[in-house]
Amino acid sequence: MSTTGERSTGTIYEQVQDSPEFADLRSRLRRFVFPMSAAFLLWYLAYVLLASYAPGFMSIKVIGNINVGLIIGLLQFVTTFAITTIYVRYANKYLDPAAERLRTQIESAT
Amino acid sequence: MSSTAIVAIMAIVLVAVASAVVGAIGVRARSTSDFLVASRTVRPGTNAAAISGEYLSAASFLGIAGIVLQEGVDALWYPVGFTGGYLALLLFVAAPLRRSGAYTVPDFAEERLGSPVLRKICTLFVIVIGWLYMLPQLQGAGLTVATVTSLPPWLGVAAAGTIIVVTVALGGMRSITLVQAFQYWLKLTALAVPAVIALIFFLNDDRTFDRAAPPQFAARTTVDIRTDVVLQVGLPVSLEAAGVVDGRPVDGPVRWEPGPHTVAEDSRLVFAGGTAVPVVAGSPPTDAEWLDPLPASRDHGLLAIYSLIIATFLGTMGLPHVLVRFYTNPDGRAARRSAVLVLAMLGLFYLMVTVLGALSRLYTPQLLVSGETDAAVLLLPAAVLGSGWAGVLLGGIVAAGAWAAFLSTSSGLLASIAGVLSTDVLRGRARDLRFSALLAGAVPLMLALGVTRLDFSETVALVFAVAASTFCPLLILGIWWRGLTDHGAVAGVLVGGVLSVVAVALSLAGLSGTGWIGVLLYRPAVVSVPAAFLTMIVVSLLTAQRRPADTDRVLLRLHAPERLGLSRDRIEGRGQQFG
Repeated sequence: MSTTGERSTGTIYEQVQDSPEFADLRSRLRRFVFPMSAAFLLWYLAYVLLASYAPGFMSIKVIGNINVGLIIGLLQFVTTFAITTIYVRYANKYLDPAAERLRTQIESAT
Repeated sequence: MSSTAIVAIMAIVLVAVASAVVGAIGVRARSTSDFLVASRTVRPGTNAAAISGEYLSAASFLGIAGIVLQEGVDALWYPVGFTGGYLALLLFVAAPLRRSGAYTVPDFAEERLGSPVLRKICTLFVIVIGWLYMLPQLQGAGLTVATVTSLPPWLGVAAAGTIIVVTVALGGMRSITLVQAFQYWLKLTALAVPAVIALIFFLNDDRTFDRAAPPQFAARTTVDIRTDVVLQVGLPVSLEAAGVVDGRPVDGPVRWEPGPHTVAEDSRLVFAGGTAVPVVAGSPPTDAEWLDPLPASRDHGLLAIYSLIIATFLGTMGLPHVLVRFYTNPDGRAARRSAVLVLAMLGLFYLMVTVLGALSRLYTPQLLVSGETDAAVLLLPAAVLGSGWAGVLLGGIVAAGAWAAFLSTSSGLLASIAGVLSTDVLRGRARDLRFSALLAGAVPLMLALGVTRLDFSETVALVFAVAASTFCPLLILGIWWRGLTDHGAVAGVLVGGVLSVVAVALSLAGLSGTGWIGVLLYRPAVVSVPAAFLTMIVVSLLTAQRRPADTDRVLLRLHAPERLGLSRDRIEGRGQQFG
C-alpha cells in the first residue's frame, strides 16, 4: 500500500474517532445490544429457575398433552426470533442513519 | 438385503453423486475470492439457506430427535441453545469481524494482537474443534448406514469417512453457496414430509403422551442390544431374553421386578405387545415425567442445563465453518436480513426434528431400551407407515436427508481443517492439499472407530463447550475491550481450552463421575468459560504495558460503519491476494 494511502487513512481514523457522530453511533449500538442480551439471558435463566422451583406451575396442563413448561420452552424459539427481528429493525432505523450521517460528515470534511 | 435397505442406499448414493456433480462444475476452490464473487450475486434468501445448510449437521438431523425421545421437554434446550448461539454471534461478533476482514479466528487474533504464538494456539484449537465436530458427523453417517442396511456400525463409519476424504481430496463437494442452499431444502423436506405424515397418524390415533406410566410397546417387538446398557424398570415386566442379563447367561422367559437391570451387548430381548417399556437408566421413566421440565429423577439437572446454555449460546461463534459464511453478504443490511431468515429456517428445521422425536416415543419405543435413540428419525417412517412402499420410500428420503446433513457439514469442516493444516502446520513439507485432506480425515475417523458412541447431542455439546471456552472470550474481549493483551489472550485460551478438552477427553474415554463432578465432565462450560474470561482479563491487566500500539485503530475499524473506506481497501487487497 502506498504511503499517501497510509497517511490519508490515518487522518480519517482520527477524524472518525473524534467526531460526535461516531460517539453517537457507538452509544446507540451499546444502548441496544447490551440491555437486550441481558434481558434475553434473564428470560432463559428464568425458565430454568421456574422449572426447578415451580414444577407445579410448569406441569399445569393447557390443552391435552401440552403443559405450561412445553409452551414456555417453545416460546424460547419465538423470543430468539423476535429479538433478532427487533435488532434488525433497530439497526435499519437507528444505526444505519447514524452511520450515514457519519459518512457524509467525514466526506464533506475531506 | 431388504427393499428398504436398497431404496435407502440408492437415495444416499443419489445425494452424494448430485452434490459432487454440482460441486465439481462450480467454482474451482473454496478461496476467499469465491466468497467475494458470491457476495455480489447471492440473494439474502439463498444465502440464508446456505448458512443454515452448513450449520445443520448430521448430529442436528439425528441427534435432536434422539435427545427429545429420551429426555423430553428438557431436550428443547439443545435447539434453543443452537439458535440462541446464532443470535449471540450476530449481536456481538458478526459485523465487527466482517469489517476486520479476518476470515478465521487465527486471522483475527493475528490482526488484533499481532502475536504469532497466539495465532499458532488458535490454529491448534481450530483443528481440535474441527476434529471433534467431525466425530458425531461420521458416527451419524455410520449409524444411518447401519440402521437402514443392518451392516455393522464400524463399516458405515469407515465407508462414510473414506467417501468424504476421497471427495474432498479430489476437489469435489466444495462449499458452494448453491450446493449448501440445495442441501438445506433437501434436509428440511426429508424431515417435514415424515413429520407431517406421522402427525396426521398421531392425531387420528387414540394414543396419548399424558400418562403417569412408562411408554408401551404397540406390538411384539424384538430389541437387539449392541452395547451394554443398564435399564430402569418401573413396572414388573415379562419378556424373552437371549444373551447375558443381570450378569447371568439366559435363553428364555425372564421376569423383571422394578429396579435397575443390566443387559450385556449382543443380547436379544423380545417384548410382547402392551408391555411397559424399560428405559435406559438416567432418562425419565414415565411419560408424565418426560413431559415435565427438570423432573425430580434427574441428578443436578439445573447445573447441567445452565452449563448447556452457556456452551451453546457462546460456542456457536467459535465454530470455524460458521463464521466465514457471513462474508457472502454484499453489505451489513443484507447480512442482517439473512440472519433473520436463518433463524426462521433453523427454527423450522428444529421444530420438525422435535415433532419427530416426540412422536418416536409412541412409535419406536424400543430405541429407549437399546439406547440407540439417535436412530429415531430413521426408523419412524417404517414404524408409522409399515414396511409397504410408502414406508420404504419415506425411509429412503429420510436416509438421504441424514446423508446430506453429514456431507454438507463434514465437507466444510474437512476442507477448512485441511486448509489450515497445509498452510499453518505442514508448511512446505506437504504442499499437496490431498495429503492434508487425508490427515484431516484420518484422525476423526480413528476417533470415531475407537471411542464408544455417546448420544450425538452430548458430543456436539462438548464441542460447543470447547469453542465457548476458547474462541468466545477471545472474540468478545478482542472486539469490545481495548485492554486485551497478547499474553492475556494466550493465557485465557489455554486455560479454557485445557479445562474443556480434558473434560471432553475423559467423557469420550467413557470415564464418568457421579454427582456434580459427573455433570461437569459432560458439561464443562459452566466452569471453563468463566475461567477463560477471568484469566484473559486478569493477565491482560497485569501485562497492560503489552497493549498493542495500534489497538485504537484496529478497534475503530471494527466498529466504524462499513462504507467509510476504512475496511474496504483491506478486503479488496485480500481478494487480489487470493484470487
